[in-house]
Amino acid sequence: MTSSLFVQSIGFGLVTASILALASVGFTLQFGVSNILNLAYGDIMTACAFAGYAVNQAGGSIPESLAAGAGCGALASVLLNRYLYRPFVRHGTKLFGMVVVTLAVGIIVQNILLGAYGATFFSYNFSTGRQVHFLGMVFDTSQLMIIGLSVVAMILVQLLLTRTRLGKAMRATAANPSLAQASGIATDQVTDLAWLLSGALCGLAGVVLVLNTSAFQSTTGNDFLVIIIAAAMLGGVGRPAGAMAASVVLGVVTEVAAGFITPSFKEVIAFGVLVVVLLFRPTGIFGQGATVKEIPT
Amino acid sequence: MRSHARHASTRAPAAGLLAVLLTLAACGSHGSTGGSGGTGPLTFAVFNPFSGKDASFGPEQLAGCIPAAAAINAAGGILGHTKISCKTSDSRGDPADAVPAAEALIATTSSLVGVLGPSSDEASATVPLFNRAHIPMFGDTGQAVFNQSSFKYFYRITPPDDAVGYAMAVYAHQKGYATAAAVFGNDISSQGSLGTVVAGFKKLGGKIVLVQSIPLDLSSYRTEVSALAAAHPSVIFTEADPQTSATYFAEVKQLGHLGPFIGTDGTTQPPWLKAVGNAVGTANLKRFYVGAQPYAPTTGATYQLWLAQIKAVSHQVTQPASQWYGDSYSMAAWDSINLMALAMEAAKSTNPVVFRPWIVKVATPSPGAVVVHNFAQGKTALSHGKTIQYVGATGLISFDRWQNSPGAFSFVTSDGSTKVATYTAAQISSAK
Repeated sequence: MTSSLFVQSIGFGLVTASILALASVGFTLQFGVSNILNLAYGDIMTACAFAGYAVNQAGGSIPESLAAGAGCGALASVLLNRYLYRPFVRHGTKLFGMVVVTLAVGIIVQNILLGAYGATFFSYNFSTGRQVHFLGMVFDTSQLMIIGLSVVAMILVQLLLTRTRLGKAMRATAANPSLAQASGIATDQVTDLAWLLSGALCGLAGVVLVLNTSAFQSTTGNDFLVIIIAAAMLGGVGRPAGAMAASVVLGVVTEVAAGFITPSFKEVIAFGVLVVVLLFRPTGIFGQGATVKEIPT
Repeated sequence: MRSHARHASTRAPAAGLLAVLLTLAACGSHGSTGGSGGTGPLTFAVFNPFSGKDASFGPEQLAGCIPAAAAINAAGGILGHTKISCKTSDSRGDPADAVPAAEALIATTSSLVGVLGPSSDEASATVPLFNRAHIPMFGDTGQAVFNQSSFKYFYRITPPDDAVGYAMAVYAHQKGYATAAAVFGNDISSQGSLGTVVAGFKKLGGKIVLVQSIPLDLSSYRTEVSALAAAHPSVIFTEADPQTSATYFAEVKQLGHLGPFIGTDGTTQPPWLKAVGNAVGTANLKRFYVGAQPYAPTTGATYQLWLAQIKAVSHQVTQPASQWYGDSYSMAAWDSINLMALAMEAAKSTNPVVFRPWIVKVATPSPGAVVVHNFAQGKTALSHGKTIQYVGATGLISFDRWQNSPGAFSFVTSDGSTKVATYTAAQISSAK
């Protein structure tokens, strides 16, 4: 691998990391607040990519498609949590049971999309724009837009969680929902808002993912789910800042591995890093002690 | 405890009843499948992916089954069985899903007399199941392992993947490309022709400058594309699923390195062409792409018979129906149903154990044999005591001792039907 390809691969890794950060922060927020490992997350991403696609086909711009995707994700996630997941939790469904429920929801969503759109592929109408060379890295305009969007979203999420009352309420709910409720925090509303925010990130991630892949179908988001979970795990489940850092690590490692070794092993290397890190730090990069807890009712 | 005992006592007869039902179902599928003496319905199953990454395979096979079944019904059916139908069974393109799907299909379809499939995704896991159940199958799998298999109920009238690779090498050589890169998905289906295209191109004097096996469905392949650009190939050999290929070639285009690329038969299907066409632009796809596909003539009397039959049922196949008119895999599926149906007529039995050996016989030339091109012609000839040779929409069917009929290859442009070159099996063998 030449030094120029090495530098370029870091740039390409940053694009992958940006998409992954949007997705994994949303995913880890849901888990952090609700303790639900939402395996339908990738399929909601796909559904929102289709929502953005509908806007795009109707003549909407890419920002409008992104807004549609975010809105779709926010609405779908809140409804899903309030009217499906939460009733299961209230009926006593435990962690593993909820994993199965979310898996079932994912399969249902995927098959609804397959039935509605068929087994074919779709592409947004948009221009990737001109190429930009920066420190030996090569980006096109659309990728810079993805990186910018991700950076802004991450800053806003971090500010929300650390500088606002809502963010503190979310963190309190995530840490100990019973105590948070006893302290006067309306945990149901806080949970709704957390799912609204994480759903918006999920929808945004769905649209930027399919903008970058150029073509998508009913399974596209689900194909991305494993690496999303890996980023969430690596960062420390329930830790948005950790998910951000882990996304950069995984994004860059996969691309550099593709150049250094062989493309076949790019995922192997990424998951190898995950395993090694978890071996020495089981709670992830940003995890703090054991966080296993039952789903709050 | 009482509650538990009561559950147990109600479960016992229920379990017994279930066992009896399953046994009856299994007996139905293993015995005189289709009822050689009765006149009940007969079912051909399309066992292929209808969902998942290769969800386009199933509709393609179904587009051959439906017109064949309709034409057989119109010709009065098979040996008094006047209701011939096609049943779909979704393998999801994954052995883990395919095995229970195949078992369920066999156990619950007592009228099952033949299968279209399996595809490469699930063939290794499910061919033994159909073989054990004595169900003739016409695989659309390209896996070389079935070139010389011992499965008596396995037939294939489409070329194996390794032949595709040699054909691609021959085409590239004849076009004068000196250097090539091979970019293939790292799944079983895509890897089938990688070895032979590399070996064949080298044998013909070409130089392989890069081989990439890429993981499927990632968000980006820019590093791989940069490595490709650095290798400066004059042509790219490729196969991956539509989304992977679309992402990859979109990035090749974005980095300004789009040039000629030759795809396997997996790339000539409408979803692949649509996905990659959208990604690189239809004009670029038309300019730079050709794909290999099993040769099937799109002119002549037999083609017109096929065309008339699929147009007659065009509303029943996946739309737009026109995508299947020149699709060699759909035409092969049509031929496969006709072969099995004529074998039943010739054997005077719908029992697969009895009619299976006749599948080869009705396609084999013999002195005095009447050449027929569809089921109705064959049924008429057989009813007059003639022997027949079926020559189908895919042309002459010549089974080898392993019940494979590899046939020829053509190369088509991005419309999926305009042929730019055709090679016989003998010509392709020059790369071996």
